[in-house]
Amino acid sequence: MPRVSTKLIREAKKVSPLLPYFLRANASLDQAKRELQWVQSELPENQWIEAAKRRHNHEPLQYILKSQPFGSLDIICEQGVLIPRWETEEWCLKLSSVLSVLGMKNLNILDSCSGTGCIPLLLNYELNQLANLNSRIKGFDLSPTAHKLSNKNLHSYTKMYPSSASNVSFAKADLFSSSLLSNLDVRNVDLVTSNPPYIPPKDYNNSVVLNGISRSVRNFEPSLALIGENEFYEALITNLVLPSKAKGFIFELGYQEQADNVHKLMKTRNWNVGLLKDSASNIRCVIGWKDDSPMSALGQLCTFTYE
Amino acid sequence: MMCVSIWEEIFEKLQNIPRIHPLLLERAESIQSEHDTISHQLSTGNEFNQELSTKFSNLGIIIDIFNQYKLNLSSLGDLLEIIDEPNQDDEILTEALEEIDDLLPSLTKTIRTLQNRLLPPLKFNDKPTIIELRPGIGGNEASLFTEDLMQMYINFANQQKWKWEMVSKSEGSNGFVNEVILNINEPGSYNSLRFESGVHRVQRIPSTESKGRIHTSTSAVVILPKMSEGNENSLKDDERQFKSGEVRIDTMRAGGKGGQHVNTTDSAVRLVHIPTGIIVMQQDERSQPKNKAKAFSILRSRLAQLEKEKEYNDQRKLRTDQVTTTDRSDKIRTYNYPQNRVTDHRCGFSLHDLQGCMNGTKLGELIDRLEEHEFESRLQDLINSK
Repeated sequence: MPRVSTKLIREAKKVSPLLPYFLRANASLDQAKRELQWVQSELPENQWIEAAKRRHNHEPLQYILKSQPFGSLDIICEQGVLIPRWETEEWCLKLSSVLSVLGMKNLNILDSCSGTGCIPLLLNYELNQLANLNSRIKGFDLSPTAHKLSNKNLHSYTKMYPSSASNVSFAKADLFSSSLLSNLDVRNVDLVTSNPPYIPPKDYNNSVVLNGISRSVRNFEPSLALIGENEFYEALITNLVLPSKAKGFIFELGYQEQADNVHKLMKTRNWNVGLLKDSASNIRCVIGWKDDSPMSALGQLCTFTYE
Repeated sequence: MMCVSIWEEIFEKLQNIPRIHPLLLERAESIQSEHDTISHQLSTGNEFNQELSTKFSNLGIIIDIFNQYKLNLSSLGDLLEIIDEPNQDDEILTEALEEIDDLLPSLTKTIRTLQNRLLPPLKFNDKPTIIELRPGIGGNEASLFTEDLMQMYINFANQQKWKWEMVSKSEGSNGFVNEVILNINEPGSYNSLRFESGVHRVQRIPSTESKGRIHTSTSAVVILPKMSEGNENSLKDDERQFKSGEVRIDTMRAGGKGGQHVNTTDSAVRLVHIPTGIIVMQQDERSQPKNKAKAFSILRSRLAQLEKEKEYNDQRKLRTDQVTTTDRSDKIRTYNYPQNRVTDHRCGFSLHDLQGCMNGTKLGELIDRLEEHEFESRLQDLINSK
């Protein structure tokens, strides 16, 4: 984290006495100005100073403003639950546009490690509210804090879109439990989605320049939602995808090795596996589908498919 | 002897009536037949067709005026016949003359309205508007003037009871405005505001000036037809307007691994339209899809404007005499504060109420003058081109 120059602080002070507080967490004066503007437009005036001080301390803006836009939705954010990322939003929107074009009714979707519940809620909005497909979407998470927050988000979604809210539900369950499916009380699943923790422990303590994570993430976001390696993808496949007879899956990830590992597990079972890159050209998702099933449409999302 | 003088008088009066161009009359006839076809379609069709019935009522208005015109013309003919009759009774003669005097103003008015209605409608004149303002030469004073202009358009919109919204307002590192984009969400507002496109010049003593000298600065105004709503719902439709690879979408994300590793608030989106090189950047919203939707809406408007200008220039090329230029590089208007005067250089009209113009109350008057000026030159174009 480079030191903020006194010159920049002086310039910022000219614009607003609060602006210098936003410089530490932001790369540029412009972005700092924008953050201050968002704070001023979303919070009452008596909370501005406190917000500025919290941001100075690298606290994520999403926790300060208590929300993050996700597609057309506003997701409530609270300490202890991972903030939805724009990469997740991006693949979620791509996925829902493929599924909307496919137009399959009564799809069963299961989302693991749902956190705030952003993925089930956005999919529900796109598929059921806009495309009227009547899919059933269930999300679950191990963390009680996350489970509580996802229900809170569902509650605020219900207020906005009462007609489609009954298609989503959230549960508290452990991905690593062998009786997961019976705990969740689901039988048929068509598609499994997930954004599991994927930062290896060795990168968790590194800085951003060394492939690691930013200070704001390390100090404020829950490590439970961040630290993980192949074991999550293995559990997703053995405890969810295979026993539920799902026809397709899409998992967010951050490393090529994680995708290769998923491919290694699935190729013997006659699954097709591909990769999706995000618009910053980083590897972002591993996607799997069975031939001769409607889920083979997921192949359109892939930028690369394993032979 | 008396007869001759009466005829001279009438002839003089008729001279003052504007002639309607035969081409326009031809157009009126064709509208009449189109109206009949649509009327037939509407009476036989089973389903209610919104588009068709709107067109039907629009054409109906023109035809009403056209009928009024024909009625006025025939009663004028009748009156002239009465006067023409040999050995006409004196009393009847004076009455007929009086009636002609009554009839002529209404005929003039009908002809003007008809001409206005009959000119082929301008492209996009039913659209809402996007106003883009950028300071030109003159440094900080130009930025201050740009804000004054922004306020003028906001005042004007309020005056007209038009809904408006600020799309984005960005400041340079010195804290002065360097770009403002406004939406005027009133359909048809583009038709009156399009005259504002061009370089606006200001002559005044800037508030930053210590020696009391008058400075001249400029600000560029670009008026675009708003082609889409610019929200998430219109985004899909907007994206479909472009071939894949035609628009490059850049998101300004810091390097590194992204995803769970970092937690950024940077939601800026930049669009590059590759065939034309137009760049649009939006970053004011927290949501990236919202920024993207706004950017696409602005890009579509800029392209529509480009297409319109190209069409217009192609038409003008057909004519040899280029009377006035609409080139954006020319200044279109001067705001002279010491003389309390706003002069529009296209129609040569000076308004001696600068405050009235800036608070939006008198801007409409200026626009009316420009509309009149444009109408005359378009009519001239139409007549000359055939």
